[in-house]
Amino acid sequence: MSTFSSGEMAAEVFGRLFSVLLEDEEFVARARQEGLSVRLVHTKPDCQVFVSPQGVVVGEEAAPQTAAITLKMSCDTAHALWMGRLMVPVAIATGRLRIRGKVAKVLELVPMLRPAFDRYPDIAAASGVGA
Amino acid sequence: MNTALSEFQSESVSESVSLSGLNFDVLPPEVQRFRDTARAFAQDVVKPRVQHLDQAPAAHFDWQLVAQGHQIGLTRAAVPKEYGGAGVGMLGVAVALEEVAAVCPGTALIFGATLLGQAPILLSGDPRLQSRFLPLFSGDEPVLACNAVTEEDAGCDLIIPSLAQHAQNVTTARRDGDHYVLTGRKRFITNAKFAAFASVFANMEGSPGATGLTSFIVPLDLPGVVRGPVADKMGYRACLGSELEFHDVRVPAEYMIGSEGEGMAINMAQSNMARAAVAGISTGVARSALEQAIAWCGERVQGGQHLRHHQFTAAKLAAMTTKVDAARMLYLRAADKVDNELPPPVYEPAVAKLFADRAAIDVADAALSLIGARGYLRSYGVEKMMRDALGTRIYEGTPEVLALAITDSLYAEKEEW
Repeated sequence: MSTFSSGEMAAEVFGRLFSVLLEDEEFVARARQEGLSVRLVHTKPDCQVFVSPQGVVVGEEAAPQTAAITLKMSCDTAHALWMGRLMVPVAIATGRLRIRGKVAKVLELVPMLRPAFDRYPDIAAASGVGA
Repeated sequence: MNTALSEFQSESVSESVSLSGLNFDVLPPEVQRFRDTARAFAQDVVKPRVQHLDQAPAAHFDWQLVAQGHQIGLTRAAVPKEYGGAGVGMLGVAVALEEVAAVCPGTALIFGATLLGQAPILLSGDPRLQSRFLPLFSGDEPVLACNAVTEEDAGCDLIIPSLAQHAQNVTTARRDGDHYVLTGRKRFITNAKFAAFASVFANMEGSPGATGLTSFIVPLDLPGVVRGPVADKMGYRACLGSELEFHDVRVPAEYMIGSEGEGMAINMAQSNMARAAVAGISTGVARSALEQAIAWCGERVQGGQHLRHHQFTAAKLAAMTTKVDAARMLYLRAADKVDNELPPPVYEPAVAKLFADRAAIDVADAALSLIGARGYLRSYGVEKMMRDALGTRIYEGTPEVLALAITDSLYAEKEEW
């Protein structure tokens, strides 16, 4: 059984997480400079989040179909990653996290996500998602 | 940072043209410039040294050559620009290594093995590891890295998950406070003699076989590391393969890549990345043999006409050039895929390496045959290509290992996007 009871719940948590990232001026400046947009495709339950310097869009219909980087993973994998229980290289190497887009850009993106890792446990807990 | 490298950094990889645009003649501008610089390095710096590098004693190593390759960015081709690298991706690495390998694959492998040693750090996404190790490659002095997988009793056991349980006498790691203690011995490790650090795969103590394989970055100046004797190889003599011993080497826990027991997956991801570049090396060997054969058959007269006009010879030349072209197309596709997908794809790099390795052997063999007695002489260099071609199919996946990887891909569930 998934950590998330519905796609709406997952979209709320992950949408909030990236909204937090967009409060980081350094992240936004860098994302703008790099032309960075990220599409997160989560499964089990399904939800999609589109992130660009302009903001966060949640939901399959609302989100643009093309992004510089697309990440695909299950909601449980995403939860484990953000909680720090699953390491990024392991998630990638084992195929639990799949990425399409310029790899060089992805590698630059990962260190920029540090604030999200720090904030995720609280965001998840606030939405009733267990550790 | 040197000025030669800064030329490649004027444009971002993100602006480059993907092969999905189907323009097979035009590489992204920065990749093209990197390839051209590698070609000039190969022709002007490597070529005059090739015969000496090949015929010198096994332990001879040309640091001056490495220093000049370092100057043009070959030690940091895949390192991101923010860490002073060239940032030309696997496509840039592969086309550059084709150029160097067309003159001396052993020299190409010095830089290729360094990339392999860097790969886990690139994959780690860990800014602490990246800022600790990657800037080493952007200084004035050349720095090399290596990848330490193979052991006396374990080769394929460490790269095929289903074989891991059968592995014997594997290098071990055990946790001790905020360190891991590594004990064991690696063999046939390219660059081990001089590398600043190694990507080392060790099995967690208590895990059967290699089922607890774990990836570490190990600075080779740590107490307990011993660099062993250099192997006396048939080919690839410009680069040195040697043993690497670990006697209770204490490695900081933060130098582990990923998690305990996940080394096999990380090793496979590294291999899949690297195979596109190795296919570039094989293509370089094949191309070089083809160029020698073309020159010879265009000037040698037998039966009143140039060899190329004899139909059997023409058929051979046509088959050789077809193989070189096909090998190049396959490795370009593989490198482009690697630059745009994580985890690195299994299928395309394996197909490219399997084909290019065979092409190198076939084309070198055909060139030697066409050039005849002169081809058999050491002074012509074709026999060296034959020896080198036989080496390329061994490292980073034998034909048997690649066949398994390819076949498994055929039966794997296709990922929907």
